[in-house]
Amino acid sequence: MNLPEDLCAEAEKWMTGRFDTLEALLGFLLQEIVKNDAGKLDQAEEELVEQRLRDLGYI
Amino acid sequence: MKKRSLILVTVDCLRADHVGFLGYSRPVTPFLDSLTSNTFVFSNALVAGAPTYFSFPAIIASRYPLALGRDVLGIAPGEPTIAAALHQAEYATAAFLAGNPYLNVRSGYHQSFDTFRDFLDSALPGDSITSNGAKGRLSKINIQLEGASRQHRLTSQAYDELYFWYCQWRTARENLSMDSLRRYPAADVIVDQARSWLSSLGDEPFFLWIHLMDPHHPYYPPREALAAVGASEMTPRRARFLNSVWNRDVSTGRLQRYREEIVSLYDAGVYWADKQISRLVHTLQQFRRWDDTVFVVTADHGEQFLEDGSRYHSPTNLRQQLIHVPLLLRAPEPAKPRRFTQPFSLIHLAPTLLHAVGAEIPESFQGRSRWDEILAGELPNEPAVSECLDGCNNPYQVADRMRHRLVTVRRGDHKLVLNFNKRTDCMYDLKNDPEERSPIPIGSLPQERARLLQVARTHLHETRQGQTTELRLRARVRELQQMASTEERVLD
Repeated sequence: MNLPEDLCAEAEKWMTGRFDTLEALLGFLLQEIVKNDAGKLDQAEEELVEQRLRDLGYI
Repeated sequence: MKKRSLILVTVDCLRADHVGFLGYSRPVTPFLDSLTSNTFVFSNALVAGAPTYFSFPAIIASRYPLALGRDVLGIAPGEPTIAAALHQAEYATAAFLAGNPYLNVRSGYHQSFDTFRDFLDSALPGDSITSNGAKGRLSKINIQLEGASRQHRLTSQAYDELYFWYCQWRTARENLSMDSLRRYPAADVIVDQARSWLSSLGDEPFFLWIHLMDPHHPYYPPREALAAVGASEMTPRRARFLNSVWNRDVSTGRLQRYREEIVSLYDAGVYWADKQISRLVHTLQQFRRWDDTVFVVTADHGEQFLEDGSRYHSPTNLRQQLIHVPLLLRAPEPAKPRRFTQPFSLIHLAPTLLHAVGAEIPESFQGRSRWDEILAGELPNEPAVSECLDGCNNPYQVADRMRHRLVTVRRGDHKLVLNFNKRTDCMYDLKNDPEERSPIPIGSLPQERARLLQVARTHLHETRQGQTTELRLRARVRELQQMASTEERVLD
């Protein structure tokens, strides 16, 4: 695996004290990839429309 | 049977009410107007999102712009698109896009094109009226003055006013031309490239996508185009002044006095796009490819000229000036020319075009082919949804993409606007209120309001349930890779 030296140095500085194990680091990176904050907003917006329909007596 | 070719022409910022075939009185689209005698015209075509970055996922991939999650930008790696479908069907594919910063490799628009040019590498001189003044002693004094002026609103306004006129004065002696001021390659440059590519082909089927930026601000059309729209007295200096003043954060009242001239500049851009589209069609005729080509012209969104005080095409609203676009579709069959007045969402464009050329339609497309209905002259009257993220002006910043949605649902003459930021829903009757000035009172037409709300609810539900995890993850990984490479460049 080839990674830029400067990037590794920066990353190491950032990670120090944050992750005790390699598993913790990989877990964090995967969480970052799969996290779906956008999905929470989608859900809230759908609920708002449902509430509006409820207010109008249609559901 | 010989496979049909396909040409998709998209014109940035082209609003529906500024083309002759949809009623504009100024003769800005003589060529497209002439085509309508044997084409299908959709007088109520609506984009699925605006501006560019919320519009093209629907045009190219028949996917609502937020359907992979609002944090996903552009076309996901490996996402089925019209280009991918035709590439798989062994079409030669090419895209020549006039420098729109959101239609590029980074956003995945290059996928499945044998030839892809986004013209983002051709540095054009641009409109930098302050670039000469940022040096030396004067500059230091200016920085101090600006700093001091920002302490009070009135002094800040006075500084902005003085600085604006100072810049105008400083640049007054520069030798200018429209060509040197233009930011994007003009349509003739794009069409030249397309012609050259077409001339390199044998008789294989092809898919060509060209995107023209001529009506996009800053507005610097060629002189010939200005003369054609009756604005031959416009000088490059005046055009630069107008573009500068139009970009200022001043009252609508002050801007209003420049509106007519700005519209002339914009119209001249539309004229130039029309003229170059005409050259493209003549090339096809010359190469004997016109008769087996499906040809479509549309836009990614419109443009505002102070309607409700707005300029350009920022996603702070989804008014008709932004979402209503021209759509003209020409096919080789001897079908009767027709004009459809029903709302037609561009989410259906890609599957309809693939059907028209006889290619397979990817299952993932959210739109449905309407080709049979178009040929039969019976387009269904179905609701059209448009969406964007309220105020998201820089989608390259992840935080800017985590904003609330704006959604509109159009059905017949009624349009519902859902603003999730303000938590409002306003319904308009576009027949009697085309400017969307007076929302229908909440108690009126409750059933119609509920119907449109149901469409919005279904749209949001399907967005959430139908998200393709794999495409979403691929897009997220691409973004992280891009962030890493940016980081790498910064560290270098």
